[in-house]
Amino acid sequence: MTDSLTCRQAFDRLEDFLDRELAAEETILVRAHLEVCAQCAAEFHFEQRLLDGVRARLARIQVPADLAERIGRALEQAGNT
Amino acid sequence: MKPLLDAAYRTAYRLSGNAGDAEDLVQEAALLAWRGYGSFEAGTNFRAWFFRILTNAFYSRYRRTRREGQAVELEEVPELYLWRQSSAAGLNDVLQDPATALLARLEGEEVNAAIAALPEEYRVVAALYFVDDLPYQEIADTLGVPIGTVRSRLHRARRQLQRALWETAVERGLVPARPAGEVRGD
Repeated sequence: MTDSLTCRQAFDRLEDFLDRELAAEETILVRAHLEVCAQCAAEFHFEQRLLDGVRARLARIQVPADLAERIGRALEQAGNT
Repeated sequence: MKPLLDAAYRTAYRLSGNAGDAEDLVQEAALLAWRGYGSFEAGTNFRAWFFRILTNAFYSRYRRTRREGQAVELEEVPELYLWRQSSAAGLNDVLQDPATALLARLEGEEVNAAIAALPEEYRVVAALYFVDDLPYQEIADTLGVPIGTVRSRLHRARRQLQRALWETAVERGLVPARPAGEVRGD
């Protein structure tokens, strides 16, 4: 691998980069590219914000406060049968 | 145990689509885990083991015709779909953070619906990924599939989700409609 990435090479690593699945040395290469390429930096930032936003929306599911207690009771009942 | 059950509930909600079924699924998974605890290998990932039980419980309850190796192929969606649509609509020029602004215009239920509309193979991976932020390997361990399968399903699910979000925004008149041909697919 060369010591710098083209836009295409950086883009091919976009998803793994956002998901922290890239090897450390590849992460450094992507970061270096984003520092010198405003277009890719904007695209990566857009994808990151989109991912963060979707996650934030989905995290709003309210978990019943007594879920653990109810499940605990169900396990107790199962243990008694 | 509570954080695990809460995470399991959120995932179960995404899988089943409603609160009642989500609680039933978590309860069923807890019972199965309790009864089958002897099969858990000490030193391995308990969370992945529990989530595997949860997803298997989901499959056995809701999937009538599960056939391994027959994943539904999703229609290919161009890369950076949302970015390009947003750019073509002029939003990227006037908004500092167009992705966040776009999501802010959508109702939470519309984001939920976009995930719920994914074919099951992709929805399960997306639920574990978006809701629980699990690493690929842990999703693979949970589902008992190769990591490459997780990567490719996520790749397609993301693009499908982007298109669904944009189409919802267009349908609701939140963003200007653009002819599909204006989005490059290169």
